[in-house]
Amino acid sequence: MPSALDIVIAGGGRVGFQTAEILADRGHEVTIVERDEAVVSEIADEWIATVIRGDATDPDIIEQAGIEDADAIAALTGETGLNLAVCLAATELSPGVRTVARIDRTAGEAYTRFVDAVLFPERAGARVAANEVLGSDVQTLADVTGNLDIMLVRVAEGAPAAGKSLTEVRFPAGAVVVSDADGYRIARSDTSLTPGERYVVAVEPEVADEVMNLLQG
Amino acid sequence: MSGEQTRSPEAELGLLDATMIGMGAMIGAGIFVLTGLAAEIAGPAAIAVFALNGVVTAFTGLSYAELASSIPKSGGGYAFVREIFDDLSSFIMGWMLWFAYMIAGALYALGFAPNFLELLHVYGVVRPPEEVGALALPVVDAAVPVGFLLAFAAVFGLVALNAVSTAASGSAETVFTIIKVAILLVFVAFGLASPMFSGAEFQPLFPEGSGAAAVLPAMGLTFIAFEGYDLITTVTEEVKNPRENIPKAIFASLAVTVVVYLAVVAVAVGTLGASGLAEAGEAGIAEAATSFMPTGLPIIQNGGALVVFGAVFSTLTALNAVVIASSRVAFSMGREGQLLPSFGQIHHRYGTPFVAILASAVVMLGSVALPTQSAGNMSSLFFLLSFVIVNVAAIRLRRERPNMHRPYEMPFYPAPPLIGIALNLILTGVLVEYLLRTDPLALGLSAGWILLGGAAYLTLNRLRAEPDSGPAAAEAEMAPETED
Repeated sequence: MPSALDIVIAGGGRVGFQTAEILADRGHEVTIVERDEAVVSEIADEWIATVIRGDATDPDIIEQAGIEDADAIAALTGETGLNLAVCLAATELSPGVRTVARIDRTAGEAYTRFVDAVLFPERAGARVAANEVLGSDVQTLADVTGNLDIMLVRVAEGAPAAGKSLTEVRFPAGAVVVSDADGYRIARSDTSLTPGERYVVAVEPEVADEVMNLLQG
Repeated sequence: MSGEQTRSPEAELGLLDATMIGMGAMIGAGIFVLTGLAAEIAGPAAIAVFALNGVVTAFTGLSYAELASSIPKSGGGYAFVREIFDDLSSFIMGWMLWFAYMIAGALYALGFAPNFLELLHVYGVVRPPEEVGALALPVVDAAVPVGFLLAFAAVFGLVALNAVSTAASGSAETVFTIIKVAILLVFVAFGLASPMFSGAEFQPLFPEGSGAAAVLPAMGLTFIAFEGYDLITTVTEEVKNPRENIPKAIFASLAVTVVVYLAVVAVAVGTLGASGLAEAGEAGIAEAATSFMPTGLPIIQNGGALVVFGAVFSTLTALNAVVIASSRVAFSMGREGQLLPSFGQIHHRYGTPFVAILASAVVMLGSVALPTQSAGNMSSLFFLLSFVIVNVAAIRLRRERPNMHRPYEMPFYPAPPLIGIALNLILTGVLVEYLLRTDPLALGLSAGWILLGGAAYLTLNRLRAEPDSGPAAAEAEMAPETED
């Protein structure tokens, strides 16, 4: 399992774009599908993802986005029906892909019969989308003022830092391990990073992918 | 807590910085080391060799510009190919590019050694380079050539440096490049003014016996002098307004490099003569400089020393760049699961892609035992092949992903990539044929590397196909976001 995931995001609007940015910061490879020419241009200026211009429900377009090799797809346009259709089409083309759909109703539980996860950006914002796409090993806990990320990260078996104590691991400047494994104490120098346990970590976006590499391999 | 690491987030690079990185990579050792060797093969036509190589590379440059502007990844050519090709093809691409950079490292180290000896010689520390034979080692019952030792030490030192520290070079690169180019311009200026040049002899243009055909193998040998824009595309994440600046940086660095090269080669051939250059080999430019630069200057004494210093400085900075570049290719492959996962991991203590660097170092250190010409030929061969694949990737992406947004679109598509593929293949063919005649060792090693890659690929697939004891796919989750 490669450490960098291939992720397709349908809809490059506010939510889709923010999500793409977080995922790209963490070292994943993102492709955005977007219909609107002006939006496409704006995304291209930011240069965080490959952009496919077109309608994400068109099988040809979703194939161009590389759905066959993708690990996850997040349909984040403003239209619930469209998002569900995109996820279903993606599952059809690539059965193993993890699907996340943005919906606009609170009766969202029912939709999980069709997709792996749903989200309400109005409540959770784009950070939850990134968490859902990545599963439970990395969870953003809070938005700090500015752009710091406070995350709950599970140390993976066999990661470079797994089983080491904090004094042995050199994290990049701009990253701090905040808690010990069970969350009762603030981390000390003798805190060790036990595989399988979760730690609160604060990172700057610039070094997030390196920290993920150290903790998750 | 976080150790005493002083790694600040990269400063944003402007168009000038990006251009300088490309130029810095190209105007590395290639021009200093390979001019003499090119003159040996092609005579005064070495000038034509560099000009034609610039033209050949320009076509691939267009493909690079289009891909780099539309695929925002900092992995160089490998990342682009990974985007559209299946596992095997992208593995081969990465495998070849990795080797090309490693051998380039050996080439630069081999170029560093004679130039360094020349520098010591200028200041009278050692006897003339041709008289410095070998060091007799009391321990081992054999004499080791000094040049080999120096090359080995240079690779070893820079690998060690990069393995344990993450001193990223951004703006330092710009300063380095300006120094290199300035030294070359001084060389050109004094060369043009020197009485030796006024009697320059460019006739007969081609060496006797081989005629114009000699240009092609010399092109193959020196092709590596133009590989710099793959390096630009490895640092793209740090460039400001990348979709505009990366294509511009690629073209600008290529254009300036070609102009500088032509001036330098013309002066070198004009002053020292093709035969003199050929004799000087890897230190050709340095010897040309010592022949006409003014002497009796304060501090540096001999003006030629400035150019020799430039050669030493360029070979070392270029070596440093390819140590980083080769380990980045291996690191990307590890992250993509195309090499062992350990290649794609950052070392917990040093914060560097330690395994990738060490693996690259093994091949580099082994390769400094090669003759310089073999290293140049092998590296050029693999860059040629990699560039063919990059051109094919540009065409395939156009055909299979017509809707992909391309901020920069190459003009006259599909002509440039097709011409690029054709020209690169012609050079590859010529180079292979030339190697068959003159250097079967290099050809054998190249074939061996490809075979080794095939074996590695099959082994890794075997490993991955075995039942994984890893955790099953994550259960479907639902964000608990119900309204009360």
